[in-house]
Amino acid sequence: MGLNTGQVAGVQMADVSVDIETGRVRINKVVAVQDCGLVVNPRLAESQVYGALIMSCCAALVEERVMDQVTGRVLNADMEFYKLAGINDIGELVVHMDIAPEHDKRGIIGLGEPPAVGGVAAIANAAANAAGVRIPLVPLTPRHVLAAVAKNGRNA
Amino acid sequence: MESFEYASPGTLKEATALLGSSWSDAAILAGGTDLISMMKDYVVSPKRVVNIKHIKELGGVGKKGNALRIGATATFDELASNAAVRSDFPSIHKAVLGVASPQIRNMGTAGGDLCQRPRCWYYRTGNGLFGMKDGKSLVVNGENQYHGIFGSGNAYFVSPSSLGPALIALGATVKAVGPSGARDIKAEDFFIVPASENDREIALKPNEIVTEILIPTAATKNSTYEIRERDAIDWPVATASVALTMNGDSIRSARVVLGHVGPKPYVAKEAESFLAGKTISEDVAEQAGAAAVRAAKPLSKNEYKVQLAKVAVKRALLQASGKNV
Repeated sequence: MGLNTGQVAGVQMADVSVDIETGRVRINKVVAVQDCGLVVNPRLAESQVYGALIMSCCAALVEERVMDQVTGRVLNADMEFYKLAGINDIGELVVHMDIAPEHDKRGIIGLGEPPAVGGVAAIANAAANAAGVRIPLVPLTPRHVLAAVAKNGRNA
Repeated sequence: MESFEYASPGTLKEATALLGSSWSDAAILAGGTDLISMMKDYVVSPKRVVNIKHIKELGGVGKKGNALRIGATATFDELASNAAVRSDFPSIHKAVLGVASPQIRNMGTAGGDLCQRPRCWYYRTGNGLFGMKDGKSLVVNGENQYHGIFGSGNAYFVSPSSLGPALIALGATVKAVGPSGARDIKAEDFFIVPASENDREIALKPNEIVTEILIPTAATKNSTYEIRERDAIDWPVATASVALTMNGDSIRSARVVLGHVGPKPYVAKEAESFLAGKTISEDVAEQAGAAAVRAAKPLSKNEYKVQLAKVAVKRALLQASGKNV
């Protein structure tokens, strides 16, 4: 009990479209339901979850550190090629804080990281469902999506 | 960045006199969206920077005889909002909108788009234009996911120009002025594969300035289709620009030019000859796409770009023929 607990629960769900010819994944909607014990300031708590969902979208779609194996140098140490999702890439986000008397009794618990853990998997699961094939690598760029589709996809 | 001398001439004559006989003598500043970041990263360190934004005759977009004239310092925003560009040259309009940040469109210029340097991350991290180390290409066995599928020699970087493919497809001419006068360069000849790391990807001499681009207003069905990894500002991974001269419903002649797949825009001759005499359908567009990438030689991590280039051709053709894609 108190500022940490093993009992935090949450779920993230994603709705995406996959352009099977180009391998472009578009996020339509991501929904997160999150519990974190006693919520002192609901707006602040929701804001943490929105942030986590945005980070999930970035990591699922484009974020990647690229290092050259010969020189050991990071090749994309700038915001031009270390890519983040822009507002058009993120889609609709819905956050629902699971507030209930029985959660309040558990006291206040930290928030921020738990909803960022499952988001990427939710988006990748949705992409797999749409493409008809597991895409085993993130980010879900055309390169990774087309490779998976060519191997095993509906168009193969 | 290294210190440099700054000049802001008011006339073309003064400007060309301020440029040198070697590329390291001076750099031209227009929008500055490329040059300044390269100077900050010590990729280039010109001794002198010549601002050409105050040379009035280099600006503007408008009719000139039987052509649309795009001044070298016309911004992408001017192109995006120009009615003639939108109605007659959707391929230019779409290429311009592909530059997805309003900030870049407000600053970036047409001439700068043609003359900007490749975005190859080996080049931009100080490994030279060809990305060589100890006589070996870092690109071939390295992180080549954004590199060319139509490489030439050691040049695996891709031409970054957004307008280039559309201008070639539309048969445009680039006008350049140097100390010995003006000359016309066909857009197709403007982009070259540099012979050495110290050469440029364009046919200009170090003391020449692009003054304007002229696009003939012959009626064509034209379009550009761009594929990139995100909607937010991003470099395309493949683009296709097409221009079709029609004979009723059938194609008399076609131009098909791919962008971001080689060290210069790639003219897909095989697709062009395939399309002659055909009527555009989903199937014909698909086959033209396949013909366009027949000669592609992908590297270890960019095979997906072959598929993207193919789809870009198909969708550009369908778009040019009035279909929604």
